[in-house]
Amino acid sequence: MAREKIHVGLEIGTTKVCAVVAECHRDGEMRILGVGESPSRGVRKGEIVDFKNATQCVHDALADAEDRSDQEIRSVWLAVSGSHISSFNNRSSLALPEESTITAKEIESVEFKAKEAGIPKENVILHSVIQRYYVDGQEGVIDPHGMMGSKLEADFHIIHGVTSRIQNVIRCVREFDIDVDDIVVNSVASAQAVLDEHQKEAGAVLIDIGGGVTDYIVYKDGVVRHSGVIAIGGDHITNDLCIGLRIPIARAEKLKIEEGSAITTNISSGDRITLKNDTGFSGRDIDRQMLNMIIRARLEELFGILHKRIQEVVPEHLLGAGILLTGGCSLLRGVRETAESIFAGTPVYLAHSQSVSGPMSAFENPQLSTCIGAAKYAQAVHAEMPDESFIGRLKGFFGR
Amino acid sequence: MITYPRWLERDTGKEPVLRLLGIGNAGVNIADRMVVRAPLAIETVAVNSDQQSLNASVASRKTALGPMTTHGLGAGGDPELGHEAARESMSELRRAVEGADVVFLCAGLGGGTGSAVTPHLAELAHANGSLVVAVVTTPFHFEGRRRTQQAQEALKMLSLHADAIVHFENDRMAEITAPRAEAEETFAACDAILFQAVASLARLISCPGPMQVAVPDLLGILRGGGGSFLFGSGEADGGNRAHEALEQALRSPLLDHGRLVHDAEKVLVHLSGPRSLTFAEVAAIMQEISKNTSPAALLHLGVGVVRDDSAPLVITLIGQTGRVGRLEPSTPVVVPATTSATASALFPEDTITSTPPAPQTPAAGQLKTSAPKIKQEDLPLEPIARGRFEKVEPTIVEGEDLDVPTFLRRKLKK
Repeated sequence: MAREKIHVGLEIGTTKVCAVVAECHRDGEMRILGVGESPSRGVRKGEIVDFKNATQCVHDALADAEDRSDQEIRSVWLAVSGSHISSFNNRSSLALPEESTITAKEIESVEFKAKEAGIPKENVILHSVIQRYYVDGQEGVIDPHGMMGSKLEADFHIIHGVTSRIQNVIRCVREFDIDVDDIVVNSVASAQAVLDEHQKEAGAVLIDIGGGVTDYIVYKDGVVRHSGVIAIGGDHITNDLCIGLRIPIARAEKLKIEEGSAITTNISSGDRITLKNDTGFSGRDIDRQMLNMIIRARLEELFGILHKRIQEVVPEHLLGAGILLTGGCSLLRGVRETAESIFAGTPVYLAHSQSVSGPMSAFENPQLSTCIGAAKYAQAVHAEMPDESFIGRLKGFFGR
Repeated sequence: MITYPRWLERDTGKEPVLRLLGIGNAGVNIADRMVVRAPLAIETVAVNSDQQSLNASVASRKTALGPMTTHGLGAGGDPELGHEAARESMSELRRAVEGADVVFLCAGLGGGTGSAVTPHLAELAHANGSLVVAVVTTPFHFEGRRRTQQAQEALKMLSLHADAIVHFENDRMAEITAPRAEAEETFAACDAILFQAVASLARLISCPGPMQVAVPDLLGILRGGGGSFLFGSGEADGGNRAHEALEQALRSPLLDHGRLVHDAEKVLVHLSGPRSLTFAEVAAIMQEISKNTSPAALLHLGVGVVRDDSAPLVITLIGQTGRVGRLEPSTPVVVPATTSATASALFPEDTITSTPPAPQTPAAGQLKTSAPKIKQEDLPLEPIARGRFEKVEPTIVEGEDLDVPTFLRRKLKK
């Protein structure tokens, strides 16, 4: 395997479909060759609501990526999201025969047992991430290979989603005879791109606020402790502005990007923004105070929900690396400050993909974190199992 | 201040006599609808000064006003003419309200007949000891300031004698229909809402059943504590009727698509259905409603059963939001001295037992400008918006629909 492997990460997002073509070196380096994008239609809250339109957008994005990277795309790693995705932690245990060493077989069966945990029958397990092993009650075993004992236990973080919805996303890509190597949940993908090992060890929360959904993942001691999806994103802010200020959606979106901020202090009371008139829209003066108040209310609520959920799993003061915000909506002014006011005392940073090379505009863009992460995830999976074609799990499920 | 209608103290053997008076053209319209559409034991009386409208009406009784004054041609939007006609036909009016236990007065205020005659009827009916519920509309804005003012004056007079006023603003009701709707459609929609309100109030009081609504409860809600009045109703039949009817009731535009229910302090839920209405359905509906209301809200439940087995399940929600403070609940409505003077001067031969009590008259002079508005609040009819998320799966976290803008749910605006 001397040649570099090419991995393609694809995300069908609510605002845009993007594909990242990346060249993965064996030493873990990754270089982005090209990024293809297409504004998304037919996707709401991270899920496909109009199959035909969404398919067209996927096609446009992949064609764009092929053009820019000068590579033919045969298969992609697909990032998925949506409110149907949920997660839980599960511990399973396995009794071992007398005086035997633990082999890959035992480890596999303990994972299998963990997955048997009750998920609704219409759901499918997307990830089962090992948190820690226990051998005869001994805690903190990182790799039980070759150890001896009578009982092997393991904690797994299991992420699952509704089978049919995931199949739909896959079908969307298969329309063009492009294979889906595997799927990866948004939050897991983003974490691959943004968080480094130190941050995962020290404890970090990654919040990826996209157009339609917000994905979050909590790491502590190097393992995933919690993950989830809330179907609120930048679209909600736009919608709030549309309703609150009574302006068309397209105007609201533009206003949000150009003028919007979540900081409500230090605004003089008469500060107004003039919207020019346009066909079908007569000009209007917008009160900046009002604009920012609407945005802040939405973000405060979002962070409030996240804060509550995260606190149940890992107390804030144990988050050594703090909170990292990524995703398109993290570009909005004042998002970090709002988060800081909710997660009082915990540092909040804006983050983007790390340890990749290529055009700076690509990896420094937080909108692409998930997409790059999907490619990174591919690289990580291949690093673990170098030559084995990684088909098993999902393709089994979806009956190729 | 609450005086219970006489029939409450009577033997329960006798059913209360309900009477609906449609006054003026708009009122007669509603009365006709009641006759045609609602199979209720309710007497309808059309009261108008316009003979043509009376001739066309299908109400069971008709009272022509002031044949000498108006010559059967209507009051022509002039309340003075209306007053004169009322004075002329005073004995007919008295007969119209006689012997009824509950009197519903339906009128469109702002015109000649409706604005002038409705307060008189309220006074007469009240003097008889009937329970008086007025269901009125105020004119569209574009009808001019004069009419609006006439309507406001009529409302003030009405509030002296009516036990409860259900007040709809035409302007707001028109907003319910799409802006491009045909004019006829909009008028019909306004009429339909008014009719619905009257019909469900009548049903509420008259419908026999295992759990009757106590009249004091209803009055308590209609009188209110100064907050907004809310009203929603829905009907459905078939297997999923409980769910569908409730959905309709909660989605009612007059409830701001269910949002107002959250703020309600008191909610009266009335279910009326055929005998096949099961307890499980009632329980399911109530559970759903209590999910929608705040935990502090006081719920009243009434269940009525209709003999007709094919009758649909009808859910009526009547409530009161708790924004107290605009008016102390027990303060009588203050009316400028001049108006109350004319009111009593109109009935020299009448022993008016229900004239406004003393406290208002002395202060009336100064209070003219700062006089608190009538108790009944307007219905906020602005439709609630989930905007572009209207058709997608809602994001519900801890029972809150997060697609509805946060600032609206937290009431940061206004």
